[in-house]
Amino acid sequence: MTLKITNISKTYSTGAVQALKNVTLTIPHGLYGLLGPNGAGKSTLMRILATLQEPDEGTISLEVSSPDSGHVIDVVNQKDEVRQTLGYLPQEFGLYPKVSAESLLDHFAILKGITTRRSRQVVVEALLRQTNLWDVRKQKLGGYSGGMRQRFGVAVALLGNPKLMIVDEPTAGLDPAERVRFLNLLSELGENSVVLLSTHIVEDVSELCTRMAIINKGEIIHEAEPLKAIEGLKGKIWRKIIEKSLLPQVELEHKIISTKLLGGSTVVHVYSGEEPVGFESVPPDLEDVYFSAMAGHYPQRAGLQPK
Amino acid sequence: MKFREIFRFEFAYQVRRPYIWLFLIVLVYLNFLMTRDRAVSEALFEEFFINSPFLIANTTVFGGLIWLMMAAAIAGDAAARDAGSRMHPLIYTTSITRAQYLGGRFLAAFVLNALLLLAVQVGILLGIYLPGVDPELIGPFRPAAFLTAYAFLSLPNAFVATALQFGLAIQSGRAMASYFGSFILFFMGFFVASFLLYKLGLGTLVDPIGIRFIVEDIAHLWTTIEKKERLLNLEGIVLTNRLMWLSIGLVSVAVTYLGFRFTHRLGSTSRWTRLSLLFRRPQVVREDATNSPVIGIRASTPIWVPVIPRTFGFGMHIRQTLTLAWTLFQTIATSWAGLALLTVIPLLTIPVVVDQMESNGVPLVPTTTRVINELTAPLSAELSRWVIIPALLIFFAGELIWREREARLGEITDAMPGSEWAPFLGKFLGLGLLLVAFTTLQMFAGLFAQAILGYNTFDVPLYLKILFGLQLPEYLLFAFLVLVIHVLVNQKYVGHLVATITYVFITLSSLFGVDHDLFVYGAGPGWSYTEMRGFGPSLGPWLWFKLYWAAWAGLLAVVARLLWVRGREEALRFRLLMARRRFVGSTPWMAGTAVVLILALGGFIFYNTNVLNQYLTVSEKKERQAEYERRYERFDGIPQPEATRARLHIEIYPERRQAEILGSYSLINRTAVAIDSIHVAIMPGVTTGTDFDRKATLVIADEDHGHRVYVLDRPLQPGDSLRLDFEVTIQSRGFRETGVDPSVTSNGTFFMNTNWFPAIAYQRPRELITATDRREHGLTLRPLIAFLNDEEAYTDRGRGMTLDVVMGTPGEQVAVAPGNLRRTWTELGRRYFHYSTQAIGGEWSFFSANYAVHEAWWEDSDDPGRAVEIRIYHHPQHTAHLDRTLRSIRASLDYYSKNFGPYQRESLSVVERPGNGTGLHADAGMITHGEGFTLWNPKDDGRSHDHPYAIIAHEMAHQWTVPYAAVEGAPVMSESLAWYYGMKVVEHSRGPEALQRLFSYMWQPHPYSPIFRGEPLLRGLDPYLSYRKGPFALNTLSEYIGDERVNGALRNLLEKHRPVDAPLATTLDLFRELRAVTPDSLQYLLHDLFEVNTYWKLETERAVATPTKTGNWQVTLDVETHKVVVDSAGVKQEVPMDEWIEVGVFAPDQPGKEIEPLYLRKHRIHSGRQTIIVTVPRRPARAGIDPDHVLNWEERSEVNIKKVTVD
Repeated sequence: MTLKITNISKTYSTGAVQALKNVTLTIPHGLYGLLGPNGAGKSTLMRILATLQEPDEGTISLEVSSPDSGHVIDVVNQKDEVRQTLGYLPQEFGLYPKVSAESLLDHFAILKGITTRRSRQVVVEALLRQTNLWDVRKQKLGGYSGGMRQRFGVAVALLGNPKLMIVDEPTAGLDPAERVRFLNLLSELGENSVVLLSTHIVEDVSELCTRMAIINKGEIIHEAEPLKAIEGLKGKIWRKIIEKSLLPQVELEHKIISTKLLGGSTVVHVYSGEEPVGFESVPPDLEDVYFSAMAGHYPQRAGLQPK
Repeated sequence: MKFREIFRFEFAYQVRRPYIWLFLIVLVYLNFLMTRDRAVSEALFEEFFINSPFLIANTTVFGGLIWLMMAAAIAGDAAARDAGSRMHPLIYTTSITRAQYLGGRFLAAFVLNALLLLAVQVGILLGIYLPGVDPELIGPFRPAAFLTAYAFLSLPNAFVATALQFGLAIQSGRAMASYFGSFILFFMGFFVASFLLYKLGLGTLVDPIGIRFIVEDIAHLWTTIEKKERLLNLEGIVLTNRLMWLSIGLVSVAVTYLGFRFTHRLGSTSRWTRLSLLFRRPQVVREDATNSPVIGIRASTPIWVPVIPRTFGFGMHIRQTLTLAWTLFQTIATSWAGLALLTVIPLLTIPVVVDQMESNGVPLVPTTTRVINELTAPLSAELSRWVIIPALLIFFAGELIWREREARLGEITDAMPGSEWAPFLGKFLGLGLLLVAFTTLQMFAGLFAQAILGYNTFDVPLYLKILFGLQLPEYLLFAFLVLVIHVLVNQKYVGHLVATITYVFITLSSLFGVDHDLFVYGAGPGWSYTEMRGFGPSLGPWLWFKLYWAAWAGLLAVVARLLWVRGREEALRFRLLMARRRFVGSTPWMAGTAVVLILALGGFIFYNTNVLNQYLTVSEKKERQAEYERRYERFDGIPQPEATRARLHIEIYPERRQAEILGSYSLINRTAVAIDSIHVAIMPGVTTGTDFDRKATLVIADEDHGHRVYVLDRPLQPGDSLRLDFEVTIQSRGFRETGVDPSVTSNGTFFMNTNWFPAIAYQRPRELITATDRREHGLTLRPLIAFLNDEEAYTDRGRGMTLDVVMGTPGEQVAVAPGNLRRTWTELGRRYFHYSTQAIGGEWSFFSANYAVHEAWWEDSDDPGRAVEIRIYHHPQHTAHLDRTLRSIRASLDYYSKNFGPYQRESLSVVERPGNGTGLHADAGMITHGEGFTLWNPKDDGRSHDHPYAIIAHEMAHQWTVPYAAVEGAPVMSESLAWYYGMKVVEHSRGPEALQRLFSYMWQPHPYSPIFRGEPLLRGLDPYLSYRKGPFALNTLSEYIGDERVNGALRNLLEKHRPVDAPLATTLDLFRELRAVTPDSLQYLLHDLFEVNTYWKLETERAVATPTKTGNWQVTLDVETHKVVVDSAGVKQEVPMDEWIEVGVFAPDQPGKEIEPLYLRKHRIHSGRQTIIVTVPRRPARAGIDPDHVLNWEERSEVNIKKVTVD
């Protein structure tokens, strides 16, 4: 099971913003993180993959490998085939407030093609238990908290054993425990399906994703395996704690990738091939990878066609 | 400051929304159209300016109605946008007050609405003053006409509607709730005001829109001159109405203000849920994470989602569709509007049906046919109470199409597998289920109403057939259309707008220049059902048209599916792209099938309506009428022979819907000159062959205009005669655009000679009548009816003919024609009936049905041996009034022949006409009545008004109608006299109490509402004048001068004008005869009653009694009296009075006994205050002036009688 995105571009007519520029990605099964700041084009890409938007150009194919034989689904043109294996959790969604979780999930189960009553009962129960909503299944969705809604959304996305999961910024409304639990769940799902997770939170990716891509202003600026990327930055990230007033000075002299306030002083991370004077070496983390990429310290990926 | 900013922001925000401008354009355009086509005024009198205040007010009402239905979004958006967009936490936490927030928003919405309603006036102005209007139709420009309509109608309506819409939207937090506010107002105007409370006189008051208090009341009450000139004024009931609704608006504003809090909104909790929460155990939403025994994270928690086989393809689609249908049905059925549809309307239907099962206080048998008649209406009946259903359907369709997206679930559901068919059809079926539920409940409402009225013949199959088989498809087709509209438009408010306009188009398509039902969605000929005819031939065309529209619905479904928005791409470019991609598999086949069906069915219908039958648009018909006049009017009045005898042989073949008429007219030249050419008028729609018994050359054969001219080789000399032979074939071929003419049908054939038979001479009735039509076609204007003093019209009379008819009909049927039944026989399985009569006028009716015949005789007690054969032809089940009818006929024959001369014929037929109407019609020797007549259901308790009896007596009186001229006052000559006669029969055969009950019936303002102005009785044309004022005026006169004198005058009148060479009578002759029998002292009364509109205001202020020493009682009455004359322009003037008026003193009521007058005598009464003293033998209880309402019968205010106080 592989999702191949080739040269996808998308421009919104309103404001002529190019949301995606020539995006090319190959997403194998496993949990794949799409990291980027707000407005980078993540949701546009996710919606295109979830059949809800049309790319201006480019192709997307979903290669389905089964034990006997494989086939390829053209995501843009064979929407219904995609939808049959798709699980989609949008960034923002609502629920009918006057329905109970159980009956709405049952309703969605029918829409997803689970037609026999007995199997629906089994699935609905299993999913409500998985998402820890079993005890509140009879309650009206209008009274659900943000986290509960989010988990309900996951349950909906999981209906019908999707082979392609698209989850758009799912961790936003979750508390720390829920967030981790949820990411665990996604990671496990990734064992035999493609799970694409978009987020602007670096930790979401660093913990569980096997692969990741960083997107900014509609372009993929870096694609890597998180651990390898961190590895690759070893010896290139340097740190210094300075007075806030000195920041403009430091900015002039170094390639700053991030500054953070820490107990009244400012911690500056810079990217450099050799040791800058007065800086100490720090072990890089994924945040450094992200900020380095955002600051343009990565060369364009090999294999990426120049525009 | 804050208030101003809130107002400014809201106003600026909304004024930039495109839909506001769309509303504006639509309002301007529709009002322009309405003004241009004067659709509103067409139903009314014609001769006033299109910029008369009355017409402007009228159009303003309808414009306001359209505004009400479409512009609810403005108030809704102002009220609920914050909650809807979830911005409310930001606003609510600022330091504004409720008054600033609500006030600013409300004011902005109100101002916007008020400005928007200016578009109505703009549309009217453009309609009047843009080129293209006959300048003669435009009166002087009067700004006040527009300003008053705007200020008195639009502005208060804008306030009330905005207040309600705003309040509801604030309460629910949903902008759409505002449409519910519109719905309530709509419902009040159309359902409650017009049907429920109309009788109680509250209708005018509770109508918020103006349909009743402008369109209906004023249209009736204002005289033509007033309609032309008078400005709408805030007075009387209009003022009360406006004040009441303004207060309702204020209350609504207050309730909104008091009920509003800057608090968190729990989802979209409605008031209901909040209410129900009060009675329910508080539900605590438990956060399981905190409750769960496992706190923290366990990475090893295994994910296990059972692998379940899934179904895709057809099976899944069916399942999805059904699930959606059922879920959506439940959702809308439990929503506010759904509850209104499923509970409020059926519950209100019960009293409405019960109420409608009587007519003017006389109960009707609540047969299923009649009840169903109340429950159904064609979709296009825009003034029916059921217009509520399409309005609700538009609303529901919007809710359904936007359901997922408004719940922000759209992205989830759109990414589910399956095609767009499932949601579209699911939504349609959901709405369909709602309609099925509604229809079922309506059926039960009807059954329940019948049960309440004690009617136990529940004809459930008929309910099922009509409600489910005929009415439901009408609604379903419309539901389908509005769903498609919402899909295509893909913007909720604009969707409502487009759907509303579409509905307006459907109902008023001719206003848009579309006449043929093939081009009006869902339209087609209606069905009809009567107990005699059943559905007759009406179902076939109905079905073809509905099938045709169903095929269109199929094509629309394909279009909707193709352009269904799924996902984020809403631009047309993407929707077309999707459509191309979706146009695969079975979809092209479906589209193709639909197109083929549309073409095939449409072609078949077209073949029937336009090829087999001739189809003419309204304007083409008018053009033909005009052309007929242009070509042949010059022959009007030229010497032509007169028919003296008609021999007819009519063969009726009901099953084939065919009739053959072989006939001949004997024509005689009664003029003084030789006639060389004969003009024969041919009727449209039948095949007519004409020939003469002498050589004649057909020189003009204008079949389109139905005119043939024969030139006789040998002119017809004065006194000479010839014979016209004709053959008419009536063969219904297929169906017309209007359906099938049911004149010849399997049971219940009925036609008249004027429908089909050729006639001699130019036919003036074919001319266009209305001033507009005539002007448009360049014809000189002519009055609707000749003036009273137009003496030429007095001489225009026929001398009566001899009619000899043989009718053949299938063996099981009975055929009826005018005249005495001479013979019947059977031949080859067909029955033949031979009727003949003499001295019959120009209108003959023919019938054939499975009649039962009730035969009886009447013998003249004054002239033994003279007998009249009475034959009542009726539907075998309709036997309720046979006895009563006979009794009334006999009493009428007794009284009329004694007082007005012998009945002129040997027989009398009473024939039941197929059709649900209650109306009766009298011809020479024949009374016909609709099936509805048999449904009058008077209580036989001796205390109730026996309406059938009275109305038969009235129709019988027409047998003694004076031959009258077709000039002003003609209806008075015919109907007033016949009702006066009828009163006398009731009085003499059933007693004075029965007469009082008839009076009570006639005093009701329905069906003819009183007019207190306008023409005097002598020139009366209005039904109120002829059916009410006239008979009462005669009755008043007879109270003063006695029955004998009045009857004598009427008998004289009849005898003078009956001879064939006498001139026709007019009201002037009537007046002359009455004057001759009225003593000089009462001539003033005759003048007051007939020559002017006079009203007596008679009030008893005080009645005091004192016992006298002799044991008597002296009663002192203080009365105030005035006499007022109102001229035809409506100007009132008090005139001095000095006349004889009855004064009465009455003893206390004694149960079971009649109220006995202790004193009843006429006194000389003058204008103003005066004291009357009378002495009575016993203690009086009540006393007053004109106690029997002989003079002030029109107002019948009870101020004329007072309780007597004892001194």
